[in-house]
Amino acid sequence: MSTKHSKAAARFIANRKQEAWHDETLWMVRAKRDKMSHSIPEWERLRELASDIKLYSNSHLDTLLEEFEKNALANGAIVHWAKNAAEHNAIVQEILRQHDAHTLIKSKSMLTEECGMNEFLQEQGYDIIESDLGERILQWMHLHPSHIVMPAIHIKRQEVGEMMERVLGTEKGNSDPTYLTHAVRKNMREKFLTADVAMTGANFAVASTGEIVVCTNEGNADMGTSFPKVHIATFGMEKIVPSREALGVFTRLLARSGTGQPVTSYTSHYCKPKEGGEFHIIIVDNGRSDILARPDHIRMLNCIRCGECMNTCPVYRRTGGYSYTYFIPGPVGINLGMLKDPVKYSDNVSACSLCLSCSNVCPVKIDLGEQIYRWRQDLDRIGKASTEKKIMSGGMKFLMERPKLFNTALRFAPLVNKMPRFMIYNGLNAWGKGRELPTFAKQSFNDMWKNNKIK
Amino acid sequence: MSSKNDILSAIRSHTGKRYNMPDLTLDAIVYEDKIAQFSDALQAAGGKAVLLQPGEDVNDIIRQHFPDAARIASNLPDITCATFNPDDLADPRELNNTDLAIVEGHFGVAENGAVWITRQVKHKALYFISNSLVMLIDREAIVNNMHEAYKRTEGMTYDFGAFISGPSKTADIEQALVFGAHGPVGVLVILK
Repeated sequence: MSTKHSKAAARFIANRKQEAWHDETLWMVRAKRDKMSHSIPEWERLRELASDIKLYSNSHLDTLLEEFEKNALANGAIVHWAKNAAEHNAIVQEILRQHDAHTLIKSKSMLTEECGMNEFLQEQGYDIIESDLGERILQWMHLHPSHIVMPAIHIKRQEVGEMMERVLGTEKGNSDPTYLTHAVRKNMREKFLTADVAMTGANFAVASTGEIVVCTNEGNADMGTSFPKVHIATFGMEKIVPSREALGVFTRLLARSGTGQPVTSYTSHYCKPKEGGEFHIIIVDNGRSDILARPDHIRMLNCIRCGECMNTCPVYRRTGGYSYTYFIPGPVGINLGMLKDPVKYSDNVSACSLCLSCSNVCPVKIDLGEQIYRWRQDLDRIGKASTEKKIMSGGMKFLMERPKLFNTALRFAPLVNKMPRFMIYNGLNAWGKGRELPTFAKQSFNDMWKNNKIK
Repeated sequence: MSSKNDILSAIRSHTGKRYNMPDLTLDAIVYEDKIAQFSDALQAAGGKAVLLQPGEDVNDIIRQHFPDAARIASNLPDITCATFNPDDLADPRELNNTDLAIVEGHFGVAENGAVWITRQVKHKALYFISNSLVMLIDREAIVNNMHEAYKRTEGMTYDFGAFISGPSKTADIEQALVFGAHGPVGVLVILK
């Protein structure tokens, strides 16, 4: 039984050149992160602090969210609470309706992706414009992000160029990134100036001040919110930080971890509505409060969506974001998917070599790999364990518990060396896929020991 | 209101162990020469810092760096090279096609080359829409790191504030770095 991940991965790997590029490029980002983190002597202390602050804030969400709301209201914002994706989308639609708005310009938000908001609003006839370059490219190509920070990392410049020839009328055959980026800049300028309502996610929401913080390199969130009268900011409730002092820990970690920069170009603090405008803030649960009840997985709420666990993951780098069945790929996505619906997303838990590199680099110290291991132990219980691996494991257990039989079996093992390939590499041997078995030794260690061949 | 109550009661019933807030004191990095570090970090972010020398006029520096700028916005009284006051415009959209905006920042951050601004102009768009952005800060007003930075923002009230580190940029096409994704293509910080 191949998982959906391994089947999709096989398609990604089929393009060897692209796979190698993807692998090397993400590793380059990881290396930049290392350089950045090594330049800060207190790096490990920062990670510890970030983890401890998150454990505090996520175990005090009730009081911190109320504090945030009180301060946001005092700032003049309008605060909404959404239990789930449907409520979230309905709130946004109602705001658009109140303002007779048709065009919504938005910056990148994994939360709106999680809520399926764009599709929902588009079906209602609204024009949704993604303003992050990568997201805009994906929107034009009718694709979803394959990485949470570098959403179009799987697309080659030639493909972008060809698409833009059709959409924007750029020069034929010109796939220079600067040329293409500036073509989008020109096109987007007009969109920024004419959109009816602006929407952003939030990287952080500060309880003590009621402000939300958005980090971008492009400045697209800030351009988007500069012209319409109405700004909607939406955030998953684990984005809360207690104070600006605590925020300092996270703004030092986020970009260094995610892209290997000391900080994003823009770290924007939105506090009050503009004169004569409205500032709506949506606080979203959508399953987050359920995670609180799972002590083994509670640290998933630490996540600041930096994407570093993807950059470092040997499986993600070599199989691409689309190989995973949850909309967030990589180590964080494997875990979030299992928390969302373990039966539906269990295919992803095998997309992990348990190397624990993700756990070692995570800026908020989530035990990502360890949690994946724990999910695997649960597979049988939810009826998702691989049948052939179960049979093989059962056989191994049977042998291991019977030393005589085991030693006899071992004596016959070298016969495998001479067996025809079809008998070894077939559908029954999951471990034979994409791997070559080592040659069995002519004599077992036990026999060598007994015959005094080992001193 | 009911969704709020439902969410809060779900949080309360699901919250197990309540962890304490950690002590945030730490030995954060400090720099011997904050100005040099700030300049290096800003340069790495694609911007540039210049130190105003005694007797130099800030307007001359701006002109030297942006000789082709025709439409120059500033509401600062000392900026005589400005061609218009952006606060005179009723609609921020009229700021489109501004070549250069000159604004004041509160302080710089040595570790990452960022300048903290709060909206000191009528339209926040000014910080983002012009082709190039000049930010003026006092050379003494450079803090070491983001911890010191947030301490310094205490007591400041603003509707919009931002740390701006260099120009707008993207690497969304094959990780190739391009300046001027949507906002300024160039950023110059003048240390007075």
